[in-house]
Amino acid sequence: MNIVVAMKQIPDLQQIRIRNREPVLDAVPLTLGNIDKNALEAAVAFKESHGGKVTVLSAGSEDLEDTIKEALAAGADEAFLVLDDELDGADSEAIAGILGAALNRIEDKDLIIFGEGSGDNYSGQVGPRVAEILGIPLVTYASSIEINDKTAKVVRSLEDCEEIIELTLPAAVSVLAGINEPRIPSVTQILKAGKKPKEILEMDDLGLALAEKQVITLSNLAPESERKQILLKSADELVKALSSQSLIGR
Amino acid sequence: MDFTLSKEQLLLQKMARDYAEKFIEPIARQIDEENKIPQEIIEGLGELELFGIPFPEEYGGADAGYDGYTLVMEQISKVSGGVAMTIAAHTLGLGAIRSFGTEEQKKKYLPAGCKGKEIASFAFTEPGTGSDPKQLSSIAVKEGDYFILNGTKRFISNANYPGPMVIFAKEMESGEVTAFILEKWTEGYSISEPWEKVGHRGGILVDVYMKDIKIPAENLLGKVGQGFPILLLGIALGKIGTSTAALGATLAAYEEGVKYAREKTHRDKPIAKFQAIQLKIADLAIKYETSRWLCYRLGCLANNIKDPAQFAREAALTKAYAGDVVVEAAHIAMDVHGSYGLMKDYKVERILRDALIGPQIEGVSDMQRMIIAGAALR
Ligand SMILES: Cc1cc2nc3c(=O)[nH]c(=O)nc-3n(C[C@H](O)[C@H](O)[C@H](O)COP(=O)(O)OP(=O)(O)OC[C@H]3O[C@@H](n4cnc5c(N)ncnc54)[C@H](O)[C@@H]3O)c2cc1C
Repeated sequence: MNIVVAMKQIPDLQQIRIRNREPVLDAVPLTLGNIDKNALEAAVAFKESHGGKVTVLSAGSEDLEDTIKEALAAGADEAFLVLDDELDGADSEAIAGILGAALNRIEDKDLIIFGEGSGDNYSGQVGPRVAEILGIPLVTYASSIEINDKTAKVVRSLEDCEEIIELTLPAAVSVLAGINEPRIPSVTQILKAGKKPKEILEMDDLGLALAEKQVITLSNLAPESERKQILLKSADELVKALSSQSLIGR
Repeated sequence: MDFTLSKEQLLLQKMARDYAEKFIEPIARQIDEENKIPQEIIEGLGELELFGIPFPEEYGGADAGYDGYTLVMEQISKVSGGVAMTIAAHTLGLGAIRSFGTEEQKKKYLPAGCKGKEIASFAFTEPGTGSDPKQLSSIAVKEGDYFILNGTKRFISNANYPGPMVIFAKEMESGEVTAFILEKWTEGYSISEPWEKVGHRGGILVDVYMKDIKIPAENLLGKVGQGFPILLLGIALGKIGTSTAALGATLAAYEEGVKYAREKTHRDKPIAKFQAIQLKIADLAIKYETSRWLCYRLGCLANNIKDPAQFAREAALTKAYAGDVVVEAAHIAMDVHGSYGLMKDYKVERILRDALIGPQIEGVSDMQRMIIAGAALR
C-alpha cells in the first residue's frame, strides 16, 4: 500500500502579527498546513499498522526543501517536490495541475490524502481538482479512513449527518482536522529527516509553465474586532446575553 | 559567525515546546504542589529521546549535541523547572559516564539511560560540603574485587529512580577523591524522604545513605584518585543543564510579564501603555536575550571541548549569569503583576520560586565567580 500525502508550505500562522489589519509576513517561519499534518498522520498510522510507504508531495518555493523535513520527521518515507519561487502564491487550479502532473510520475499510488483545506487560504479546491485530473474517485470531509486491500471505507462528516462511503482504490480523500492527533516526532526522527530520499523537480521537468493567475487577491485583511464593553453582574446574565446573540446553545 | 538556527534545530525546539505545552503545562501546577512527576511524563520524555539528547547514537543516544540539548531544556523548563531538573541531573550523571567510562561501562549504562528506562544521578554534595571536594567524608575501602562504600550524600537529584549514580568518595588506601558508578537500590542503599524545596518541585531531591555498599571494582569510574577532574568536567557539563533550566524560567518570566502587561488595564488602558511598565518589559527582553545566547554558546562549546579548564570557565560564567539573571527577571515579572503575582493562580509565583534555585545549585554564584576570577588572574 503506497500512500501519497499532499502538503502545502505556508507561513506559521501562530507567528503572524497583524498591523493595521494587514498580516505582517516578514521573517515569519514557514511550516506545513495544519490539516495537512492530520492527513500525514492518517497515512503514517496506516503504514505502521499495515506496512507500505508514505510519500509526501508538495509544490512551493525553494524553502520547501527545508520545510518538508517536518513531514519527513513526522513519518513520511520520502518526498516528491516541485520547486519554483512563484508557486507559493499560485492559485488552486495551477497547483492542482502541477500536483496532478507530479502524481502521474509517481507509480504505485493506492491512496492520495489531502487536508480538507490549506492552512492559509482554505479554499478546499486542490483535492477535488487533482482527483478530477487523475480521474479517480474522491471523498471529502473524511473523519475516518479504513483500508481493506482494494477498497477504502471512509466516514464523511457533514454538518448534520455522517455518510459512510466505500470506494475502490486508487482514490483520493481529503480529511478533517479532527481525524487524529498528529504525533510529536522524536529527536532522532527530526535529525534523520534531512537524510530521507527526496525527488526534486522544476516546472520544466514536468513540461509545465505557470499559467496566468485566474484568481487575484485584492486585499487580505484581518476582521475588525471591537470590544463590546458590556458589564454583566452574574453568570446567569452572561449565559442569557450570549444565547440571545446565538453565541452559545445553538 | 551566524546566529541562526537550522531547520533541524527549530524543529527540535518546536518538538520540545509542543510536548511541554500539550502534556506538561496542564499539570505543571499539580507537579509543583505534589512535588512529584507522573510516570507518564517520564515515559513520554523517554519516547521522544529527551533523556539521551547529547549522547552518541552508538550508545543509544539521540546525537543532537549539547546545543540541541540547550534548545530542548529551555522549552521544558519554561513550563516546569522540576521536569527540566530531572533531565538535567540525569544528563549530568550519564555525561560523566560517557566522558570517563570504559567501553563496557558505556555499553552497560548509556543505552537504558538514553531511553529513559533508567534515570541517572550524580552525587557529590554531602552534609559537610557542597563546593569543596577536599572535605568529602564518604569513604571507599577496597576489599578484593569490590569497593565498600559508606557515607551520606545530601541533596541528590533523581536518587529515588533506579539507574546508575556517579558517586564521589575518598578512596582510603590512596586518600584521594575517586568516582564510582553505583547502581541505585543495591543492598545497603537507602534514601530520605524528598526535601520540600522552594522551587523546581517535582524534581526529586533526597539524601542518600550508603551502608557497606559493595561496588564491583569494574565500576570504578576513571582511575583511583581521578575524582577531581571527573568532578570538574562533569559539573562543568552539568552547568549546561542548570543554566538552561534558569534560561527557561527567564523566558517564562518574560512571556508572563508581556502577557500581563497587555491584559491588565488601568483607566481603560492596558498597563503596557505606561512607560514604567515598558521599561520593565525591555529589561526582561534584555535579560532573556543575553542569557539565551550565552547558554546556546555553552552548548556549542560543549560539543567539542579541547581544554576542560577553559570549558569550566565558560560554564561557570554562563551559570553565574543565567542563575543570577533569572532571579532578577522573575522579580521584574512579579513587579509587573503586582499583588496578583503573589497568588498561585498566576504562573509568575511559581516562576519566581523556580528562579530562586538558579544561583544556589551546582556551586553557588560566588563559587562560579571564583572560577572565573581564577582563570582571569592566573
Ligand atoms: C535543586 C537542587 C538540586 C541539587 N542536585 C544535586 C545533585 O544532583 N548532586 C549533588 O551532588 N548536589 C546537588 N545539589 C547540591 C548543590 O549542588 C549544592 O548544595 C551547592 O553546590 C552548594 O553547596 P552548599 O549548599 O554546600 O553551599 P556552600 O558551598 O557551602 O556555599 C555556602 C556559602 O559559602 C560560600 N563558600 C563556600 N566555599 C567557599 C570558599 N572556598 N571560599 C569562599 N566562600 C565560600 C559560598 O559563597 C556560599 O555563599 C542540589 C541542590 C539543589 C538545591
